[in-house]
Amino acid sequence: MEAYFALVRRDLEQLLSSWLLRGWVLLLAAPAAFLVVVAAREDELASETLAAYVAAVLAPLSWIVISFLAGTAVSGEAGTIADTILSKSVTRAEYIWAKITSRMVVFLAVYFAVVVPFAYLIDRYAVSNDTSLSGVVGGVVMVGVLFAFLTSFGIALSTVFRNSQLAVVVALLTVAVSGAVLQFLGLKWMSTTAVIGGLPETFRGETAIADQARVLVVFVALSAAAIASGVWLFERRDL
Amino acid sequence: MHVVEAVDLTKVYQNRYIALNALDLKVDKGMVYGLVGPNGAGKSTTFRIMLGLQRPTAGEARVFGETMTSHRADLRRRIGFLPTTPSLPREMTPIAYLQFVGKLLGMDRGEVMIRLTSLLQSVDLLSVGSQRIGELSTGMVTRLGIAAALMNDPELLIFDEPTSGLDPSGRRQTLELIRELSGSDRTIIIATHILSDVERLCTDIGIMAEGRIIYHGPIAEMRRLVRQRTVSVELEGNLAHFEQQLPELDTFGTVRAERIGSEFRISFLGAEPLPVYVQRVLDLVHRSGVELMHIDTGSHEIEEVVLRRLEEDRLNSFVRASAWSAAQKLTLTAGTARNGSAIEIIGEARAPDGDTVAEPDAVDDADAVAVEHGETGAVAKTDPEAE
Repeated sequence: MEAYFALVRRDLEQLLSSWLLRGWVLLLAAPAAFLVVVAAREDELASETLAAYVAAVLAPLSWIVISFLAGTAVSGEAGTIADTILSKSVTRAEYIWAKITSRMVVFLAVYFAVVVPFAYLIDRYAVSNDTSLSGVVGGVVMVGVLFAFLTSFGIALSTVFRNSQLAVVVALLTVAVSGAVLQFLGLKWMSTTAVIGGLPETFRGETAIADQARVLVVFVALSAAAIASGVWLFERRDL
Repeated sequence: MHVVEAVDLTKVYQNRYIALNALDLKVDKGMVYGLVGPNGAGKSTTFRIMLGLQRPTAGEARVFGETMTSHRADLRRRIGFLPTTPSLPREMTPIAYLQFVGKLLGMDRGEVMIRLTSLLQSVDLLSVGSQRIGELSTGMVTRLGIAAALMNDPELLIFDEPTSGLDPSGRRQTLELIRELSGSDRTIIIATHILSDVERLCTDIGIMAEGRIIYHGPIAEMRRLVRQRTVSVELEGNLAHFEQQLPELDTFGTVRAERIGSEFRISFLGAEPLPVYVQRVLDLVHRSGVELMHIDTGSHEIEEVVLRRLEEDRLNSFVRASAWSAAQKLTLTAGTARNGSAIEIIGEARAPDGDTVAEPDAVDDADAVAVEHGETGAVAKTDPEAE
């Protein structure tokens, strides 16, 4: 376990010193602050403001940043893995679980650190507050689960592809295309774009609990499947 | 129990490239084993399988008597590995990197600090301990790699071309360091192209070609294989005159001379002691009126043997390929014969001990079956007319 914790710590240090991560936080926080001011002055529906922020700022930016940071998690340090880490007394499971832990913790921490204060401030200061607490909690958790899935999927791809750019591009395209296709096929509870598109209703508390639960179960299961396949592949791969 | 043992170790990449071809290797405790061979011989692949970084396609790699797999972190804890031009985290400092390695190895903080200080001192990196690794020279990175390999004082050290990319001073320092490490019960395996390094450091040698060990044994044994005595002289002056007089040395047709610039490499195939040959060469230098700049004896012995072995293996591979091809044809024919069709042997079928299994044009099913069991390398074909 010492090796696992050493690897988590090293990956956290690497992520926190990354300019991409810092830029992401800044680009999420600045529009959020602006929207709080707008919502407090203009007669905009709180649910629509919150959903518009997620759809126009949070989701696309996070989609790019998470795809990049997750897709390069393993493939990005291909040389170092064998020379520095796995030639020592470290198992592959320890290595890949350390990557999953640190990336998941950082991405979800950034997401909740931005979204929770933003949702609270909108709820408190919006002129036209039409949100419900359970709806906001449900919506925020659903988007968080989508990010967890994107992280798991990106890390799984980074164990498959030796070329990190390819892993990132495949992560970006798969999520975008599958979201649109599944929505077209009517499988909205499996579609990332459909879930985000339905957020105004969710924030107003108009989405049935069962529908929200179905989305959560599906994306938790998809995340678990992505992690399991990533670990399985990495344990068998030649380095 | 061998410290390292490979049994029929085979690695085929994507069903296209054979990196290891039923490799057999045994390295015992306390040996300093030099693994030499041309590029692509399979040295690095062997090491990667020994460390569980790659899986063999067939065969087995055992370390400390146990099968190595990617899960055997406990076995890797007992191994120190230095890859060729190690890829270390560029953003870390040597101190931070060795601390990180210590944590990966499960060492406690106090132990790590004591160990890293002494290691940085012994690899002469104390003064750059807080610089980023990305700013260090190749030689420094290699020395840091050695320090990392030694962090928990492992029983087995594997160095993959440790002097690759180093300047002469870095190379000398690295070799000195390895020589110091080889004093104890520790086992060291070094892959290298530089045969003089093997001669200086190793107790045993293995020559690899095309994924197989084609020779292995103690260095001393290998030297005994060298029948010729070589004297190399570097000269200045009228070299053409010296070259013209070289045949004077060759009284019985047992001298071979090779000129490389101003250096003459003269090999004697006779049985007289080396000083006799040295004296003859010095006499010739004196008579020719050229100036002797440098004289060297025997430094190319190992090189000569290695090159000779590689050349022999290259020639043998043609023979092996032909024999394999013949055996394939014969097996096919034998199968046909058992089904009742007639066959014609167009060459003798011989067992390994030389006994004839089948004569041309005189074969029956019994011969064919015996042949099918791999007792021969003869050439045969079916006779389509004789059904």
